[in-house]
Parts: sequence; structure tokens; C-alpha cells
Amino acid sequence: MDDRITRLKRIQEISFTLNDLTLYLDTHPLDTDALDAFSQAQAQRRELMANYARDFEPLTIDCVCQKHFNWSDGPLPWDNQGGA
Amino acid sequence: MWTYEKRLQYPVNITRTCPKTASLIISQFGGPDGELAASMRYLSQRYTMPCKEVGGLLTDIGTEELAHLEIICAIIYQLTKNMKIEDAKAAGFDAYYIDHTAALWPTAAAGIPFNACEFQSKGDAITDLHENLAAEQKARTTYDNLIRLIPYPEVRDPLKFLRAREVVHFQRFGEALEKIKTDLDSRNYYYFNPEFDKAMLKHPL
Repeated sequence: MDDRITRLKRIQEISFTLNDLTLYLDTHPLDTDALDAFSQAQAQRRELMANYARDFEPLTIDCVCQKHFNWSDGPLPWDNQGGA
Repeated sequence: MWTYEKRLQYPVNITRTCPKTASLIISQFGGPDGELAASMRYLSQRYTMPCKEVGGLLTDIGTEELAHLEIICAIIYQLTKNMKIEDAKAAGFDAYYIDHTAALWPTAAAGIPFNACEFQSKGDAITDLHENLAAEQKARTTYDNLIRLIPYPEVRDPLKFLRAREVVHFQRFGEALEKIKTDLDSRNYYYFNPEFDKAMLKHPL
């Protein structure tokens, strides 16, 4: 369970990095440093999301497993998950 | 189109029951400077925004405000989910309880229900961006007031995150306003309304 929370927290952190860089790039589209940071964070997030869906449950509909419909697996986002 | 991600933008882990605190924080759900108004403001304004990049910024910030609304609702939910009737009575939450039990409903702390008159979508890029700058500062002040009043670290923590985002959004809207002003006639950017008097635009924004 602890591993799930730690990995969810990592997804929250990298996703927030992307959120903030997106807004910055909206008004500074030519900043190449920001664009590099965006690409790096994007690759990390893609990997973290795929691994999380494989080991726990999907966080987006794109990560839903084909074997059974697991979209409703896992806790609800608004429940206290004890750390993430 | 939107896709849902089954996680909060920032974690909320509240262990106490406190309907009094919930009744104050609910203003950032349905109050005059709350996250619902913020989201609807930006997502309504974007269609006629003449500059594509600024329309994109309105979409991205409007979307983030929906995630903030979800954080606020998670705080209220966790503060009230184990509430007993005695807690509601003692905290002055009884009037809300009568109409909504422990469900989420958008209202201001003082009891005024959410109302679209709390935000504007004016159809003038200069006017709307000033509206947005003011909105971010009003929301920041509301978070300042909440953080000053609420002593619990587990509640203050996500409120501090949300407060910081108001400051960042203010910065980004300021940059968007400068871009529009520069792209118009910078000596008199009030000369015409770039969203309506399109024939007067010398070049697309």
C-alpha cells in the first residue's frame, strides 16, 4: 500500500511540473530550456502512468486494462489515502 | 473535450471532523471568488478571445481551476463525512445539513448560493483579462483569510498550494494582457474592441 502512495505522489509531482510548465510555455512558447524540461517531464510521466496502471489501477481511461474493465478499481480521488 | 484523471492535483488527507471549518472553506467552491466561478469565467471567455495563444491559456487555467474545485470539495468532504448531528448543530452547520445533508453544494460561506453573476465574460480581451487578474487576487485574499483563520496543518497545507497557484495564474494573465496590448496599437489599445471590431484589426493577434 505504501508503495502505491509513494508512486501516486510521484505522479502528482511530475504532473504538476507539467501543469506549471504548460502555463509558462503558453506565454513563453520560444523558451527552449522550458521546452526541454517539458519533454523530460512528459517522458517520465508517461512511464510512471503506464507502470502505475500495470501494478495498481488505471488513472485515465487510456490506461484501462483490456482483460477486465478496471476503471472503477482503486480508491476514489477524494478519499483520504493517507499520504497522497 | 476533457478527459478525467482519477487523482487530485494535490493530496488531501484530513483526519479530523470539523463542519465549522468546512462551512468556511465552502466559499472557495461556490462563493464569489471561488474555484467554480474561476473555471466558468475562463472557460466561457475563451471562445471569443481573438488571440489563439490567450485562448489556449484560458483553456489550461480554466481546466486547472476544475482540479482546484475538486481539491476544495475533497477538503469539505473529508471534514464532514463522519459528522454526527451534534457536530453539525454545535458548528452552525445545521442549516446546510437540512438542505444538503453531508453532500457538496456550491455556496458562499455566508450562505449565498453560487451565481453566474459572480463572474464576467464581457467579450473584450482587455476587459476580460483585467477581470481575470482581479479574480486571481480576490481568490488569493480569500485563501489568505482562510489560512489566517484555520489552525489545522492538514487543512492549511492544500490551501497554501491553492493560494500559490492564484499568484502564478495572476502572473500568466499579466503576460497575456501585455501580449495583447503590444499586438494592438500600443499607443491606444482602447481604440476598438478586438473581439468585436474585427475589421479594424490590421493583422490577426
